[in-house]
Amino acid sequence: MSESTHGSPYRVYWITWAILLVITVAMLMAERFHMPRWFLIVFLVAFMMVKATMIGGNFMHLRFEKRNLAVMVAAGLLVTSLILFAYIAPESWSVLRSTVR
Amino acid sequence: MDHGAHAAVMESHWGGGVSPFAATWQKTMMWIFIVTDGLLFSGLLCGYGFLRMANTIPWPKQSAVFSIPFIALMTFILITSSATMGTAVGAARLGDRRTAVRFLWLTILGGAAFLGCQAYEWTHVIHDGARLYGPLSGSELAHLGVPRQFPAAFFILTGFHGSHVLSGLVILTITALRTGLGKTPAQGVEMAGLYWHFVDLVWVFIFTLFYLV
Repeated sequence: MSESTHGSPYRVYWITWAILLVITVAMLMAERFHMPRWFLIVFLVAFMMVKATMIGGNFMHLRFEKRNLAVMVAAGLLVTSLILFAYIAPESWSVLRSTVR
Repeated sequence: MDHGAHAAVMESHWGGGVSPFAATWQKTMMWIFIVTDGLLFSGLLCGYGFLRMANTIPWPKQSAVFSIPFIALMTFILITSSATMGTAVGAARLGDRRTAVRFLWLTILGGAAFLGCQAYEWTHVIHDGARLYGPLSGSELAHLGVPRQFPAAFFILTGFHGSHVLSGLVILTITALRTGLGKTPAQGVEMAGLYWHFVDLVWVFIFTLFYLV
């Protein structure tokens, strides 16, 4: 690794890398704390979103792009995924209910 | 319709200029590709969620099927390769071709290691009786009582992701060779980097939603 790796130009990537690793370890350890299942899921999903934001913002430079590009990407992916999930989730529960009966 | 009215309808009042995202067309198109490819994985993950939530047979505990520390190692490798890729992009932007090429090869090494780990994991799971249509009867997975959708979701999610890693490796190898020869501009390295980070981003979702939740 060159000297410049630790200098200012590339520092953001390696700080992001370290934070991502810490979050990943925290996610792996979370199960050991015997928290309620719903809380564990919320915890994991929240940290997943933090990791995704850090990768998008720092590694993919979305933080430094024009805001409308960042909004197009984030909203395009997030909103459509949520709509898709919102349509699928109730259907899966109704399938489960009808199968159990 | 007179000419004035026609012009009023047809003329664009677009105020974004020639570059509304303040990005080149290559970068804009790369982002549009990433959004559409991201939607593919979003659909796959929602499909996985449907299979899991609608299943009457309980989903197995992931640690009973997979070695979670090994999956964590794969995650570590991919995150590290993203950091080396970022450094390569940064170096290319600064005009430091030697550092850019060196970090591109480190990224390729990381990607190849990740793919090797995935091949090992697939071999292990197939050996335990996992098939695309469900666990083999009499196999270890069948004894665990995993629903037949479980191996299907595993192969589809990790298979699609792995194919992206593989294509990323091809793109990175071409980029590294061409950058070494001075034929790829900094923007070319940046485009390859965007794709590679996207592959890492998708893994964050698969790792959490399939292996941890």
